[in-house]
Amino acid sequence: MKQPIISFKNVIKCYDDDVPVLKNVSFEIEEGKFYTLLGPSGCGKTTILRMIAGFSEPTEGDIYFEGRRINNVPANKRQVNTVFQDYALFPHMDVYDNIAFGLRVKKLPKNQIDQKVKEALKMVQLAGYEKRGINEMSGGQRQRVAIARAIVNEPKVLLLDEPLSALDHKLRLDMQYELRELQQRLGITFVFVTHDQEEALAMSDEIFVLNNGNIVQSGTPVDIYDEPINHYVADFIGESNILNGTMIKDCLVEFAGKRFECVDEGMRENEPVEVVLRPEDLDLTDEEHGKLKVKVDTILFRGVHYEIICYDDEGNEWMVHTTKKAVPGTTIGLYFDPEDIHVMRFNESEEDFDARLESYED
Amino acid sequence: MEKKHNFSWDKLYLAVVFVFLYVPIVYLLAYSFNKGDTMNSFTGFSMRHFAELFSDTRLIVILLETFMLAFLSALIATAVGTFGALSIYYVKKRQQRMALLSLNNILMVSPDVIIGASFLILFTTIGSLVGGIGLGFWTVLLSHVAFSIPIVVLMVLPKLQEMNESMVSAAYDLGANNFQVLKDIILPFLTPGIIAGYFMAFTYSLDDFAVTFFVTGNGFTTLAVEIYSRARRGVSLEINALSTLVFLFALVLVVGYYYISKDNKSKKKSERRQKGGVMR
Repeated sequence: MKQPIISFKNVIKCYDDDVPVLKNVSFEIEEGKFYTLLGPSGCGKTTILRMIAGFSEPTEGDIYFEGRRINNVPANKRQVNTVFQDYALFPHMDVYDNIAFGLRVKKLPKNQIDQKVKEALKMVQLAGYEKRGINEMSGGQRQRVAIARAIVNEPKVLLLDEPLSALDHKLRLDMQYELRELQQRLGITFVFVTHDQEEALAMSDEIFVLNNGNIVQSGTPVDIYDEPINHYVADFIGESNILNGTMIKDCLVEFAGKRFECVDEGMRENEPVEVVLRPEDLDLTDEEHGKLKVKVDTILFRGVHYEIICYDDEGNEWMVHTTKKAVPGTTIGLYFDPEDIHVMRFNESEEDFDARLESYED
Repeated sequence: MEKKHNFSWDKLYLAVVFVFLYVPIVYLLAYSFNKGDTMNSFTGFSMRHFAELFSDTRLIVILLETFMLAFLSALIATAVGTFGALSIYYVKKRQQRMALLSLNNILMVSPDVIIGASFLILFTTIGSLVGGIGLGFWTVLLSHVAFSIPIVVLMVLPKLQEMNESMVSAAYDLGANNFQVLKDIILPFLTPGIIAGYFMAFTYSLDDFAVTFFVTGNGFTTLAVEIYSRARRGVSLEINALSTLVFLFALVLVVGYYYISKDNKSKKKSERRQKGGVMR
């Protein structure tokens, strides 16, 4: 296996002997991929980023960069650059000087600086903006300057701290494409911090989902979306219907008062579990053809689809995303395939979860 | 045209206040052009008091020394005060920081007389212990620096609090060392506050009387002290002439300040306009 570019080994971080912000975090980051640290505010994702950047030291545990321990290496000695949430541009310098700052600090010859700055500006589609003042630029343009200022130094890892959160929706979507494309063109490892699951799913090669100072699950966007490890991940990433159920035996699960065929294996018989069904996997049909009989409560037009809230006989709430319309108050049937059901055990560790999945997927 | 009907009480109030504030000054200035030797009656226009003033080398030397003192003390105080503000800002514990800031502010509000007297005691004690410190230029300079530092701190700190902390992080992130961060990022950002602090310190030094009066000795005196000692002997109109010049100087400063700030404002306005344009 290739040596990871960054690895965290049992890292714990406490501020002022309070509750730890990070509780024993270990992970590895490979070169050239787009990683996302995803979690709600206060989950420790920014703390991890600051530790990679060198603004914060772990209380316990070690951080390695290309195999070298870097716990005490200061920020200005690391081959890592950051794009800050508020961009942190230098307001008293123009665009050119902002971008050239890192190169000038490294004492590069003038013509090289000039060439690199021009290249970086072209890369973020701001060629010709050299002499602009920072205050004369819009939010999206500042964002690009901040990215150019970081990548011009050719870091091995680029850290992005919720860089899109200050942009409006449309611009955000555009920047998602651009960032992804930029990462693929440069081949630099990106570590992206966000609380926005859509951003994470759209851009990443690999997502780390964090909660309360722990990495709850890591994997590709598809893995995490389709096979969330627990209630928290299922709820945080995308919309989901989560129900309590019982695993009767392999490939047979009971919930909402009925037994359904599914594809999950490796659990004890009659083990209590949680079941996830994504709203878009549920199809509307008539009462006879449905696997489940539900009563339509409300219907909301979302543009791309209708969001329909229904209740089954046992009082469980079901959210359905569909392009079909339904009438509130009527009884309809819900249809889903065995593959649409995802069963989660309580308190399963990520290793056990992965091992169990591998045991029956092949 | 409703020019005749725009009387209102608030305008009258303003007018009265300003008249009260300016009449004594105008009175003083007007008599600098008096032909006679006293302020009892205006006997005719003449510039002879100005001529007297310019031939009074003692007074001119004192004037220059006063400016020199203000220039130097403001310079030193600005340097010390700026770094003082920085170190207060970077004190981690909130309580400690507030305590330091309060100590700074106490110096600002405590009466000059107390500061002057305490410096006098300090200098004479040191003088009697070590010897070699005569009261004069150096003692005045030191005490002016001392009472100017809190002013500078107070002018620089708000600018520091305005500063975006992640801007400093960004500079470290880009590879800058402590010195480069200070020189290229923090100090340029603080410059408006530092300049304001310098000018405040300059004017405080220029018109200080009480502290200087305590800590100066033979052979060195500032304008304020000199005018005071002359006034006790009866004000000669030469002082009026000097006041006229100093007043004009202040006027030039104010007008200059007005144009500088107007310039900045219009720059900001055009920035805003451009921003609006981009957003559109």
